[in-house]
Amino acid sequence: MGSFQFYKPKGVEDLLKMKAELGERGLILAGGSNLLVYIRNGIINEGTFLDVKNLKPLKGIDTSNGKITIGAGETIREILESAKLREKIPFFPDSMKEFANPLIRSKATIGGNAADASPAADTAPPLLVLDTETVIGSHRGERVIPIKEFFKGPKKTALKPDEVLLRFQFSVPEAGKGVFLKFGLRNGTAVSVTSLAAWLALDGGKAVDIRIALGGVAPTPVRAINAESALKGQKLNEESILTLSEEVEKDLRPISDVRGSTEYRKDLTVELLRRALRKLSGTEAAL
Amino acid sequence: MSERKLYDISLTVNDREVKGRVKAETTLLDFLRSNNFTEVKKGCEIGDCGACTVIMDGEAVLSCITLALQAEGSKVYTVKSLGTWEKLHPLQKAFVEHEALQCGFCTPGMLMTAKAFLDKNPHPTRDEIREAISGNLCRCTGYKKIVDAIEAVSKREAE
Repeated sequence: MGSFQFYKPKGVEDLLKMKAELGERGLILAGGSNLLVYIRNGIINEGTFLDVKNLKPLKGIDTSNGKITIGAGETIREILESAKLREKIPFFPDSMKEFANPLIRSKATIGGNAADASPAADTAPPLLVLDTETVIGSHRGERVIPIKEFFKGPKKTALKPDEVLLRFQFSVPEAGKGVFLKFGLRNGTAVSVTSLAAWLALDGGKAVDIRIALGGVAPTPVRAINAESALKGQKLNEESILTLSEEVEKDLRPISDVRGSTEYRKDLTVELLRRALRKLSGTEAAL
Repeated sequence: MSERKLYDISLTVNDREVKGRVKAETTLLDFLRSNNFTEVKKGCEIGDCGACTVIMDGEAVLSCITLALQAEGSKVYTVKSLGTWEKLHPLQKAFVEHEALQCGFCTPGMLMTAKAFLDKNPHPTRDEIREAISGNLCRCTGYKKIVDAIEAVSKREAE
Protein backbone atom coordinates (compact mmCIF):
# COMPACT_ATOMS: atom_id res chain seq x y z
CA MET A 1 0.00 0.00 0.00
CA GLY A 2 1.22 3.49 -0.78
CA SER A 3 1.15 6.59 1.30
CA PHE A 4 -2.02 8.13 2.63
CA GLN A 5 -2.78 11.21 4.67
CA PHE A 6 -5.94 12.16 6.54
CA TYR A 7 -7.58 15.54 6.82
CA LYS A 8 -10.94 16.68 8.09
CA PRO A 9 -11.98 19.90 6.34
CA LYS A 10 -13.47 22.53 8.62
CA GLY A 11 -15.97 23.78 6.07
CA VAL A 12 -16.72 23.88 2.34
CA GLU A 13 -14.17 26.60 1.69
CA ASP A 14 -11.49 24.57 3.43
CA LEU A 15 -12.56 21.45 1.50
CA LEU A 16 -12.40 23.25 -1.86
CA LYS A 17 -9.05 24.79 -1.01
CA MET A 18 -7.66 21.36 -0.18
CA LYS A 19 -9.17 19.85 -3.33
CA ALA A 20 -7.58 22.65 -5.40
CA GLU A 21 -4.21 21.88 -3.82
CA LEU A 22 -4.44 18.12 -4.05
CA GLY A 23 -6.40 17.55 -7.27
CA GLU A 24 -6.91 13.86 -7.89
CA ARG A 25 -4.85 13.03 -4.81
CA GLY A 26 -7.63 14.54 -2.72
CA LEU A 27 -9.87 11.57 -1.90
CA ILE A 28 -13.36 12.61 -0.80
CA LEU A 29 -14.29 10.22 2.00
CA ALA A 30 -17.87 10.05 3.28
CA GLY A 31 -19.29 6.57 3.85
CA GLY A 32 -16.25 4.80 2.45
CA SER A 33 -18.30 2.02 0.86
CA ASN A 34 -16.62 2.64 -2.50
CA LEU A 35 -13.37 4.47 -1.69
CA LEU A 36 -12.12 2.12 1.01
CA VAL A 37 -12.91 -0.87 -1.22
CA TYR A 38 -10.82 0.64 -4.04
CA ILE A 39 -7.96 1.10 -1.58
CA ARG A 40 -8.33 -2.41 -0.20
CA ASN A 41 -8.27 -3.74 -3.78
CA GLY A 42 -5.22 -1.69 -4.72
CA ILE A 43 -7.00 0.45 -7.32
CA ILE A 44 -6.11 3.59 -5.36
CA ASN A 45 -2.81 3.52 -3.52
CA GLU A 46 -2.01 7.04 -2.47
CA GLY A 47 -3.68 10.29 -1.57
CA THR A 48 -5.13 12.40 1.17
CA PHE A 49 -8.48 11.47 2.65
CA LEU A 50 -10.72 14.51 2.89
CA ASP A 51 -13.18 13.28 5.48
CA VAL A 52 -16.53 14.95 4.76
CA LYS A 53 -18.66 12.46 6.68
CA ASN A 54 -19.98 15.03 9.14
CA LEU A 55 -19.42 18.14 7.06
CA LYS A 56 -22.62 20.12 7.63
CA PRO A 57 -22.74 22.10 4.35
CA LEU A 58 -22.88 18.82 2.38
CA LYS A 59 -25.85 17.63 4.44
CA GLY A 60 -29.47 18.64 4.46
CA ILE A 61 -32.69 18.16 2.54
CA ASP A 62 -34.68 21.26 1.65
CA THR A 63 -38.14 21.07 0.09
CA SER A 64 -39.32 24.67 0.25
CA ASN A 65 -40.44 26.69 -2.82
CA GLY A 66 -41.39 23.62 -4.89
CA LYS A 67 -37.74 22.84 -5.38
CA ILE A 68 -35.97 19.92 -3.75
CA THR A 69 -32.36 20.27 -2.70
CA ILE A 70 -30.41 17.31 -1.35
CA GLY A 71 -26.89 17.63 0.00
CA ALA A 72 -24.35 15.31 -1.61
CA GLY A 73 -23.45 14.05 1.87
CA GLU A 74 -26.93 12.78 2.68
CA THR A 75 -26.85 9.04 3.23
CA ILE A 76 -29.17 6.73 1.34
CA ARG A 77 -30.81 5.91 4.64
CA GLU A 78 -31.41 9.57 5.48
CA ILE A 79 -33.13 10.00 2.12
CA LEU A 80 -35.16 6.83 2.56
CA GLU A 81 -36.30 7.99 6.00
CA SER A 82 -36.87 11.67 5.12
CA ALA A 83 -40.46 12.63 6.00
CA LYS A 84 -40.05 15.91 4.10
CA LEU A 85 -39.13 14.11 0.88
CA ARG A 86 -41.81 11.51 1.38
CA GLU A 87 -44.42 14.25 1.66
CA LYS A 88 -43.35 16.02 -1.54
CA ILE A 89 -42.27 13.16 -3.76
CA PRO A 90 -42.57 9.66 -2.27
CA PHE A 91 -41.12 8.17 -5.45
CA PHE A 92 -37.67 9.42 -4.57
CA PRO A 93 -37.25 7.98 -1.06
CA ASP A 94 -39.09 4.83 -2.16
CA SER A 95 -36.55 4.29 -4.93
CA MET A 96 -33.83 4.01 -2.26
CA LYS A 97 -35.42 0.89 -0.75
CA GLU A 98 -33.65 -1.23 -3.33
CA PHE A 99 -30.21 0.16 -2.51
CA ALA A 100 -27.88 -2.59 -1.20
CA ASN A 101 -28.74 -3.31 2.46
CA PRO A 102 -29.29 -1.31 5.65
CA LEU A 103 -25.60 -1.44 6.68
CA ILE A 104 -24.49 0.05 3.38
CA ARG A 105 -27.45 2.45 3.22
CA SER A 106 -26.38 4.05 6.50
CA LYS A 107 -22.89 4.68 5.10
CA ALA A 108 -23.27 5.34 1.37
CA THR A 109 -24.15 8.87 0.32
CA ILE A 110 -26.10 9.99 -2.72
CA GLY A 111 -23.16 12.15 -3.79
CA GLY A 112 -20.77 9.26 -3.48
CA ASN A 113 -23.01 6.94 -5.44
CA ALA A 114 -23.33 9.46 -8.27
CA ALA A 115 -19.67 10.51 -8.28
CA ASP A 116 -18.60 6.85 -8.41
CA ALA A 117 -20.42 6.78 -11.78
CA SER A 118 -21.08 3.07 -11.97
CA PRO A 119 -23.28 2.40 -15.01
CA ALA A 120 -25.52 0.49 -12.59
CA ALA A 121 -25.58 3.12 -9.80
CA ASP A 122 -28.94 2.78 -8.12
CA THR A 123 -29.47 6.48 -7.44
CA ALA A 124 -28.87 7.41 -11.08
CA PRO A 125 -32.15 6.41 -12.80
CA PRO A 126 -34.33 8.22 -10.22
CA LEU A 127 -32.11 11.32 -10.46
CA LEU A 128 -32.23 11.22 -14.28
CA VAL A 129 -35.99 10.85 -14.40
CA LEU A 130 -36.40 13.99 -12.29
CA ASP A 131 -34.11 16.06 -14.58
CA THR A 132 -31.91 16.68 -11.57
CA GLU A 133 -29.23 19.34 -11.64
CA THR A 134 -25.91 18.78 -9.92
CA VAL A 135 -24.24 21.67 -8.16
CA ILE A 136 -20.48 21.40 -8.36
CA GLY A 137 -18.06 23.49 -6.34
CA SER A 138 -14.43 24.42 -6.62
CA HIS A 139 -12.20 27.27 -5.46
CA ARG A 140 -13.26 28.96 -8.72
CA GLY A 141 -16.92 29.01 -7.69
CA GLU A 142 -20.03 26.92 -8.29
CA ARG A 143 -21.43 25.58 -11.53
CA VAL A 144 -24.64 23.72 -12.26
CA ILE A 145 -24.93 20.92 -14.80
CA PRO A 146 -27.76 18.50 -15.62
CA ILE A 147 -27.24 15.02 -14.22
CA LYS A 148 -27.27 13.52 -17.72
CA GLU A 149 -24.16 15.55 -18.53
CA PHE A 150 -22.59 14.58 -15.22
CA PHE A 151 -22.13 10.93 -16.20
CA LYS A 152 -19.42 10.62 -18.83
CA GLY A 153 -18.64 6.91 -18.91
CA PRO A 154 -18.03 3.97 -16.61
CA LYS A 155 -16.44 5.54 -13.50
CA LYS A 156 -16.11 8.86 -15.34
CA THR A 157 -17.89 12.08 -14.43
CA ALA A 158 -17.80 15.73 -15.43
CA LEU A 159 -15.96 16.53 -12.19
CA LYS A 160 -12.58 18.14 -12.72
CA PRO A 161 -9.74 17.20 -10.36
CA ASP A 162 -10.30 20.29 -8.22
CA GLU A 163 -14.08 19.97 -8.08
CA VAL A 164 -16.44 18.50 -5.50
CA LEU A 165 -20.08 17.50 -5.94
CA LEU A 166 -21.98 19.63 -3.44
CA ARG A 167 -25.71 18.98 -3.88
CA PHE A 168 -28.56 17.95 -6.16
CA GLN A 169 -31.63 19.97 -7.03
CA PHE A 170 -34.81 19.18 -8.91
CA SER A 171 -38.40 20.35 -9.21
CA VAL A 172 -41.29 18.10 -8.33
CA PRO A 173 -43.15 17.37 -11.59
CA GLU A 174 -46.57 19.03 -11.73
CA ALA A 175 -48.44 15.75 -12.15
CA GLY A 176 -47.90 12.04 -12.21
CA LYS A 177 -46.01 9.49 -10.22
CA GLY A 178 -42.85 7.47 -10.47
CA VAL A 179 -41.51 4.03 -9.86
CA PHE A 180 -38.06 2.47 -9.61
CA LEU A 181 -37.57 -1.19 -10.48
CA LYS A 182 -34.32 -3.03 -10.04
CA PHE A 183 -33.40 -6.48 -11.17
CA GLY A 184 -30.49 -8.01 -9.28
CA LEU A 185 -29.45 -11.63 -9.12
CA ARG A 186 -30.60 -11.88 -5.51
CA ASN A 187 -32.13 -9.65 -2.87
CA GLY A 188 -29.83 -7.63 -0.66
CA THR A 189 -26.45 -6.22 -1.60
CA ALA A 190 -26.70 -7.29 -5.24
CA VAL A 191 -25.39 -5.06 -8.00
CA SER A 192 -28.19 -4.28 -10.44
CA VAL A 193 -28.19 -6.24 -13.68
CA THR A 194 -30.68 -3.76 -15.00
CA SER A 195 -32.63 -1.01 -13.30
CA LEU A 196 -35.31 1.33 -14.51
CA ALA A 197 -36.99 4.44 -13.20
CA ALA A 198 -40.09 5.84 -14.84
CA TRP A 199 -42.31 8.85 -14.31
CA LEU A 200 -45.75 8.99 -15.87
CA ALA A 201 -48.53 11.57 -15.90
CA LEU A 202 -51.74 10.57 -17.64
CA ASP A 203 -54.44 12.80 -19.06
CA GLY A 204 -57.51 11.04 -20.35
CA GLY A 205 -55.56 7.78 -20.37
CA LYS A 206 -52.83 9.32 -22.55
CA ALA A 207 -49.23 9.66 -21.46
CA VAL A 208 -48.67 13.42 -21.32
CA ASP A 209 -45.46 13.27 -19.30
CA ILE A 210 -43.39 10.15 -19.71
CA ARG A 211 -39.79 9.88 -18.57
CA ILE A 212 -37.73 6.72 -18.45
CA ALA A 213 -34.18 6.20 -17.21
CA LEU A 214 -32.11 3.04 -17.28
CA GLY A 215 -29.21 1.68 -15.28
CA GLY A 216 -26.78 -1.09 -16.19
CA VAL A 217 -27.51 -1.15 -19.92
CA ALA A 218 -25.09 1.42 -21.34
CA PRO A 219 -21.69 2.91 -20.39
CA THR A 220 -23.56 5.43 -18.23
CA PRO A 221 -27.03 5.51 -16.74
CA VAL A 222 -29.22 6.95 -19.53
CA ARG A 223 -32.59 8.42 -20.38
CA ALA A 224 -34.52 6.16 -22.77
CA ILE A 225 -35.34 8.87 -25.29
CA ASN A 226 -36.59 6.51 -28.01
CA ALA A 227 -39.02 4.79 -25.67
CA GLU A 228 -40.10 8.14 -24.28
CA SER A 229 -40.98 9.57 -27.69
CA ALA A 230 -42.74 6.36 -28.74
CA LEU A 231 -44.92 6.48 -25.64
CA LYS A 232 -45.58 10.21 -25.46
CA GLY A 233 -49.20 11.07 -26.24
CA GLN A 234 -50.18 7.41 -26.52
CA LYS A 235 -53.09 5.81 -24.75
CA LEU A 236 -51.73 3.26 -22.33
CA ASN A 237 -53.39 -0.13 -22.16
CA GLU A 238 -52.03 -3.66 -22.05
CA GLU A 239 -51.71 -3.82 -25.82
CA SER A 240 -49.87 -0.53 -26.28
CA ILE A 241 -47.65 -1.26 -23.30
CA LEU A 242 -46.69 -4.64 -24.76
CA THR A 243 -45.74 -3.29 -28.18
CA LEU A 244 -44.40 0.19 -27.37
CA SER A 245 -42.13 -1.06 -24.60
CA GLU A 246 -40.06 -2.83 -27.23
CA GLU A 247 -38.93 0.60 -28.45
CA VAL A 248 -36.69 0.76 -25.43
CA GLU A 249 -34.29 -1.66 -27.14
CA LYS A 250 -33.13 1.28 -29.29
CA ASP A 251 -31.97 3.03 -26.14
CA LEU A 252 -29.71 0.21 -25.03
CA ARG A 253 -26.03 -0.35 -25.48
CA PRO A 254 -25.78 -3.17 -23.01
CA ILE A 255 -22.68 -5.03 -22.02
CA SER A 256 -22.24 -8.74 -21.45
CA ASP A 257 -20.73 -9.47 -18.09
CA VAL A 258 -20.74 -11.86 -15.19
CA ARG A 259 -24.24 -10.71 -14.23
CA GLY A 260 -25.89 -11.19 -17.57
CA SER A 261 -25.54 -11.28 -21.35
CA THR A 262 -26.50 -8.52 -23.74
CA GLU A 263 -29.62 -10.36 -24.86
CA TYR A 264 -30.66 -11.05 -21.30
CA ARG A 265 -30.31 -7.36 -20.41
CA LYS A 266 -32.40 -6.36 -23.44
CA ASP A 267 -35.22 -8.70 -22.56
CA LEU A 268 -35.08 -7.67 -18.92
CA THR A 269 -35.27 -3.98 -19.71
CA VAL A 270 -38.30 -4.41 -21.95
CA GLU A 271 -39.99 -6.42 -19.22
CA LEU A 272 -39.07 -3.90 -16.52
CA LEU A 273 -40.55 -1.11 -18.64
CA ARG A 274 -43.77 -3.07 -19.12
CA ARG A 275 -44.03 -3.64 -15.39
CA ALA A 276 -43.33 0.02 -14.64
CA LEU A 277 -45.93 1.24 -17.14
CA ARG A 278 -48.56 -1.21 -15.89
CA LYS A 279 -47.94 -0.07 -12.35
CA LEU A 280 -48.02 3.63 -13.15
CA SER A 281 -51.00 3.49 -15.51
CA GLY A 282 -53.04 1.34 -13.13
CA THR A 283 -53.53 -1.43 -15.68
CA GLU A 284 -51.62 -3.89 -13.51
CA ALA A 285 -54.70 -5.10 -11.64
CA ALA A 286 -56.32 -6.20 -14.91
CA LEU A 287 -53.65 -8.84 -15.53
CA MET B 1 4.68 13.42 0.82
CA SER B 2 6.06 9.93 1.00
CA GLU B 3 6.90 9.79 4.72
CA ARG B 4 4.63 7.53 6.68
CA LYS B 5 2.64 9.84 8.87
CA LEU B 6 0.99 8.52 12.02
CA TYR B 7 -2.04 10.06 13.67
CA ASP B 8 -3.09 10.04 17.32
CA ILE B 9 -6.47 8.52 17.97
CA SER B 10 -8.64 8.17 21.05
CA LEU B 11 -12.02 6.50 21.39
CA THR B 12 -13.87 4.27 23.81
CA VAL B 13 -14.44 0.61 23.08
CA ASN B 14 -16.88 -1.20 25.37
CA ASP B 15 -16.68 1.85 27.65
CA ARG B 16 -12.92 1.54 27.96
CA GLU B 17 -10.70 4.32 26.67
CA VAL B 18 -8.43 3.14 23.87
CA LYS B 19 -5.65 5.32 22.47
CA GLY B 20 -3.23 4.65 19.73
CA ARG B 21 -1.31 5.90 16.74
CA VAL B 22 -2.60 4.85 13.34
CA LYS B 23 -1.89 5.27 9.67
CA ALA B 24 -4.40 7.32 7.70
CA GLU B 25 -5.66 4.22 5.91
CA THR B 26 -5.96 1.97 8.98
CA THR B 27 -9.52 0.69 9.16
CA LEU B 28 -11.49 0.65 12.38
CA LEU B 29 -11.57 -3.14 11.97
CA ASP B 30 -7.78 -3.45 11.94
CA PHE B 31 -7.44 -0.94 14.77
CA LEU B 32 -9.85 -2.91 16.95
CA ARG B 33 -8.26 -6.27 16.21
CA SER B 34 -4.74 -4.95 16.83
CA ASN B 35 -5.98 -3.76 20.23
CA ASN B 36 -7.11 -7.30 21.05
CA PHE B 37 -10.78 -6.83 20.23
CA THR B 38 -10.49 -9.93 18.07
CA GLU B 39 -14.16 -10.72 18.66
CA VAL B 40 -14.68 -8.32 15.75
CA LYS B 41 -14.38 -10.65 12.78
CA LYS B 42 -12.49 -9.98 9.59
CA GLY B 43 -14.44 -11.41 6.67
CA CYS B 44 -14.56 -9.87 3.20
CA GLU B 45 -12.98 -6.52 4.17
CA ILE B 46 -15.00 -4.77 1.45
CA GLY B 47 -18.31 -4.17 3.19
CA ASP B 48 -20.12 -7.13 1.69
CA CYS B 49 -20.39 -9.66 4.51
CA GLY B 50 -21.17 -7.83 7.76
CA ALA B 51 -18.89 -9.99 9.95
CA CYS B 52 -17.06 -6.88 11.20
CA THR B 53 -20.20 -5.02 12.32
CA VAL B 54 -19.83 -3.03 15.54
CA ILE B 55 -22.08 -0.44 17.12
CA MET B 56 -20.66 3.06 16.82
CA ASP B 57 -22.53 5.96 18.40
CA GLY B 58 -25.73 3.88 18.45
CA GLU B 59 -25.57 2.66 14.85
CA ALA B 60 -24.53 -0.69 13.39
CA VAL B 61 -21.41 0.10 11.40
CA LEU B 62 -19.23 -1.94 9.06
CA SER B 63 -15.81 -1.44 10.67
CA CYS B 64 -13.95 -2.65 7.56
CA ILE B 65 -15.14 0.33 5.51
CA THR B 66 -14.72 2.86 8.31
CA LEU B 67 -11.35 4.46 8.92
CA ALA B 68 -10.11 4.28 12.50
CA LEU B 69 -9.68 8.06 12.33
CA GLN B 70 -13.36 8.44 11.48
CA ALA B 71 -14.12 6.85 14.86
CA GLU B 72 -12.10 9.45 16.75
CA GLY B 73 -14.00 10.37 19.93
CA SER B 74 -16.73 7.79 19.27
CA LYS B 75 -18.26 5.18 21.52
CA VAL B 76 -17.73 1.79 19.92
CA TYR B 77 -19.24 -1.45 21.19
CA THR B 78 -18.29 -4.97 20.17
CA VAL B 79 -20.15 -8.20 20.82
CA LYS B 80 -18.27 -8.58 24.10
CA SER B 81 -20.20 -5.62 25.48
CA LEU B 82 -23.45 -7.58 25.28
CA GLY B 83 -23.15 -10.15 28.04
CA THR B 84 -20.92 -12.57 29.92
CA TRP B 85 -20.83 -16.37 30.18
CA GLU B 86 -22.71 -16.10 33.45
CA LYS B 87 -25.17 -13.53 32.25
CA LEU B 88 -25.85 -13.70 28.53
CA HIS B 89 -27.65 -10.92 26.70
CA PRO B 90 -31.21 -11.96 25.66
CA LEU B 91 -30.06 -12.02 22.02
CA GLN B 92 -27.10 -14.26 22.84
CA LYS B 93 -29.39 -16.55 24.83
CA ALA B 94 -31.90 -16.70 22.01
CA PHE B 95 -29.18 -17.51 19.45
CA VAL B 96 -28.14 -20.46 21.64
CA GLU B 97 -31.70 -21.64 22.27
CA HIS B 98 -32.65 -21.42 18.59
CA GLU B 99 -29.34 -22.88 17.41
CA ALA B 100 -28.95 -19.78 15.26
CA LEU B 101 -25.31 -20.49 14.51
CA GLN B 102 -23.03 -23.23 13.34
CA CYS B 103 -19.47 -22.04 12.76
CA GLY B 104 -20.18 -18.78 14.56
CA PHE B 105 -18.08 -16.55 12.34
CA CYS B 106 -20.97 -14.28 11.33
CA THR B 107 -22.44 -14.24 14.84
CA PRO B 108 -20.58 -11.29 16.42
CA GLY B 109 -21.62 -9.05 13.53
CA MET B 110 -25.10 -10.53 13.32
CA LEU B 111 -25.69 -9.90 17.03
CA MET B 112 -24.54 -6.29 16.83
CA THR B 113 -26.76 -5.60 13.82
CA ALA B 114 -29.67 -7.25 15.66
CA LYS B 115 -28.94 -5.24 18.83
CA ALA B 116 -28.84 -1.87 17.04
CA PHE B 117 -31.96 -2.83 15.09
CA LEU B 118 -34.05 -3.90 18.12
CA ASP B 119 -32.94 -0.80 20.02
CA LYS B 120 -34.63 1.27 17.29
CA ASN B 121 -37.47 -1.08 16.38
CA PRO B 122 -38.26 -3.30 19.39
CA HIS B 123 -41.26 -5.07 17.84
CA PRO B 124 -40.48 -5.73 14.18
CA THR B 125 -42.20 -8.05 11.73
CA ARG B 126 -40.31 -11.06 10.38
CA ASP B 127 -39.88 -9.25 7.07
CA GLU B 128 -38.37 -6.26 8.84
CA ILE B 129 -35.96 -8.57 10.66
CA ARG B 130 -34.92 -10.22 7.40
CA GLU B 131 -34.35 -6.81 5.82
CA ALA B 132 -32.39 -5.60 8.86
CA ILE B 133 -29.91 -8.48 8.70
CA SER B 134 -29.66 -8.54 4.91
CA GLY B 135 -26.16 -7.06 5.07
CA ASN B 136 -24.91 -9.84 7.35
CA LEU B 137 -24.10 -13.00 5.48
CA CYS B 138 -24.27 -16.45 7.08
CA ARG B 139 -22.97 -19.34 5.01
CA CYS B 140 -23.92 -22.16 7.42
CA THR B 141 -27.42 -22.17 8.77
CA GLY B 142 -29.59 -20.26 6.40
CA TYR B 143 -31.39 -17.39 8.02
CA LYS B 144 -34.53 -18.96 9.42
CA LYS B 145 -33.08 -19.78 12.83
CA ILE B 146 -31.40 -16.40 13.09
CA VAL B 147 -34.69 -14.66 12.33
CA ASP B 148 -36.43 -16.98 14.82
CA ALA B 149 -33.95 -15.99 17.52
CA ILE B 150 -34.28 -12.24 16.92
CA GLU B 151 -38.05 -12.55 16.72
CA ALA B 152 -38.13 -14.48 20.01
CA VAL B 153 -36.28 -11.65 21.75
CA SER B 154 -38.61 -9.03 20.30
CA LYS B 155 -41.63 -11.02 21.48
CA ARG B 156 -40.12 -11.63 24.90
CA GLU B 157 -39.55 -7.92 25.30
CA ALA B 158 -43.13 -7.29 24.28
CA GLU B 159 -44.46 -9.31 27.21
